[in-house]
Amino acid sequence: MIRFFILFIVLLALMFGIELTPWAQRWLVEPWTATLAHASATLVTAFDPGVISAGKVLRSTSNGFAVSIEAGCNGVEATIVLIAAMLAFPAPWKHRIAGLAAGIVAVQGLNVIRVISLFYLGQWNRDVFEWAHLYVWQALIMLDVLIVWLVWVRTLPRVEDSSGPPPPTSAATAAA
Amino acid sequence: MNAPTVREHRISPLGRFVLVVLAWLPLTFAVWYFAAPILLWPAALVSDWVSRLGFADLVRAVEQTGASVAFTTTLKPGQAIAGGIVTVDVNMLLYSFGLPLFAALTLAAREPKRLRTLAIGYVVLVPAIAWGVVADFLKNVAITAPAQVTSQTGFVAWQREAIAFAFQFGSLILPTVAPAIIWVLTHRGFLEQMRRTTTYR
Repeated sequence: MIRFFILFIVLLALMFGIELTPWAQRWLVEPWTATLAHASATLVTAFDPGVISAGKVLRSTSNGFAVSIEAGCNGVEATIVLIAAMLAFPAPWKHRIAGLAAGIVAVQGLNVIRVISLFYLGQWNRDVFEWAHLYVWQALIMLDVLIVWLVWVRTLPRVEDSSGPPPPTSAATAAA
Repeated sequence: MNAPTVREHRISPLGRFVLVVLAWLPLTFAVWYFAAPILLWPAALVSDWVSRLGFADLVRAVEQTGASVAFTTTLKPGQAIAGGIVTVDVNMLLYSFGLPLFAALTLAAREPKRLRTLAIGYVVLVPAIAWGVVADFLKNVAITAPAQVTSQTGFVAWQREAIAFAFQFGSLILPTVAPAIIWVLTHRGFLEQMRRTTTYR
């Protein structure tokens, strides 16, 4: 466990440091954020045709309201946390790759919902928007990362030796 | 006769845990928000100590008002305002929303000695909150303030880079990752049990 956490922190700091470099911002983060805005606009236009995206901005053509997707809201940091957690945890590479692919989709999928929900919350009530933007969605995205990681850990093959305690029965689990 | 009951409970332990976390979150967020002036007092205190110890030449006083802290500096706003000093307000809520997340996760896990675990998490999270608060203050005076203010701080280029990294790390990573790490560390038995449980109830 200690090895996992040390490796997790090192990988996290390393990837976060790389993310902040101008090169990564220009070639990875900014294009990704624009893609996120475009994907959000595409989804929204299914029920609200008056929405367009330009770069990292999602804008309503009917009332002019717009949200700009900034650092912390593009899901990049959450994805970095997930990648660091999956790379640091002992697991076969096959499971790591599958977990990363599914996990990134899950995190970014919820992030699209975050962007769209904030876009409409902002048009409805500014205080609610601020609360959801600054506190609630931040916590929910990290909860999503944690859940994805827990689900992934559960799918890993067990490598314990046979001298370990037997797994609890369903009855014992139900009583816990 | 039992079939409907079995169907009703076909939810994995992890799924049930997530639902309970989501049920706790509104309550923990409400408690955190309304009790913030008290809950965040230790973080304000640590921010005060750190800024006075590490940046004594910049900070004259640190004062908490509700969920905010005001840093009174020794810096002058510029020649246009004679006798004035620069103050920086930092909203501590921005760096402490991990507290309700940690509380919801801990309460949902329903492990023994929950109060002790909550206290441990709180004590460990206070320095992480203080990190964000102090880094926010430093970012304001060293990077985002007007040039006539930043020039008085005496920070060289690499120090400004370090402040920028500390601020980004303290605002984008620490507030969310720290509670998750502490929760995983304090619930290893719960996680192991959840990992072993493959049956549905």
